[in-house]
Amino acid sequence: MYIYIYDNFVNQKKYESILAKIETRITDLGLNGKITRLSIMSSLADTIKNELKKGAKTIVAVGDDRTLNKAISVLAGFIADNSCFKKIPLGFIPINKKNNTIAEYLGLNYNESACDTLSNRRIKTLDLGLVNDSYFLTKASINTKNTIIEIDSTYSIEISEPGEISIINLPIISYLPKNFNINAHDGALDLFIKTKANKNIFFNKKNSSEQSVFSFKKLNILNKYSPLILDNTLEVKCPAAIKLADEKINLIVGKKRLF
Amino acid sequence: MFNKDNKENIKEAETVIGSSIKVKGNFHGQGNIIIEGEVEGSVKTNNYLLIGEKSIITANIKAKDAKINGKVTGNIQIDEYLEIGSTAIITGDIKAKILSIAKGARLNGRCSMNGQEITVEKK
Repeated sequence: MYIYIYDNFVNQKKYESILAKIETRITDLGLNGKITRLSIMSSLADTIKNELKKGAKTIVAVGDDRTLNKAISVLAGFIADNSCFKKIPLGFIPINKKNNTIAEYLGLNYNESACDTLSNRRIKTLDLGLVNDSYFLTKASINTKNTIIEIDSTYSIEISEPGEISIINLPIISYLPKNFNINAHDGALDLFIKTKANKNIFFNKKNSSEQSVFSFKKLNILNKYSPLILDNTLEVKCPAAIKLADEKINLIVGKKRLF
Repeated sequence: MFNKDNKENIKEAETVIGSSIKVKGNFHGQGNIIIEGEVEGSVKTNNYLLIGEKSIITANIKAKDAKINGKVTGNIQIDEYLEIGSTAIITGDIKAKILSIAKGARLNGRCSMNGQEITVEKK
């Protein structure tokens, strides 16, 4: 049985017609199931846990990046405690392009067009990153200012130029070097550091940006002032311990996925 | 960040340390490593190590093959081929199976190949 979980924000009136089209498309494709609308009083965690206990076979999150991140975190956390649910697939229907930066990478269209992907049921088992007790699918990022990185308890990294630090599981970053084979099924996370390009004041040209890449098993990030951002949405305070999660997620992806 | 040589090798690099990065500690990898920044401690890999022109390494180095173009203070142990570029400044002992040293490179230390020691005079 499909369980569709509508995030709180799609309860707004402006999303009514989009949801109506999604529900029509779901019916047309024979993917009918139970629809649960989250509210201020109901949590995604409780909803997913209750539905799984009742026998849900597929969970479909409807919303944006934040919805997907929360659904993944809840499902992975639940799998950690109940391994019998580890094969439950997670589908995702992204609502509009705004705040949906991950969908395209997963090969998903927006709104009702995403229902066809559910119908095709192309499932990929993907690694997850774990930051303290929060999971992420794509990346965890923080700026380089005041940040100290300790890797595998054997060495530390200091960065002298301003820029961004990303711990990547599924590479949605467009500026990654093409020659690096970073993916979410290699059983490893990668640390990618990009420092800002310096302008050459004499020739008014931008130098090529600095890029550094490290593979690691465990990593600690220390920063007193800035939080770590997971999947472009969730903020996690430092110090943060980061590693590859033992749990994996079965995600329904599209044919046009970029991995 | 990368000169022409680096770009040729980056295709299979597992680790790249950019010039704005300083690594402190024991840095051990399995794949190819490119260093353009600073390292203090030790560097070890089972594969290829490329040390860029502007890099400063204060560490003992162990690798299968290596090309050194930067400044290294520490002992270097290479299982197969060690190529020392013209911009390299090395202070430490070298051990390698096959060795090439470009004109202009500076080497202060002992050098041994297959257990046969060759002493290089300090400049």
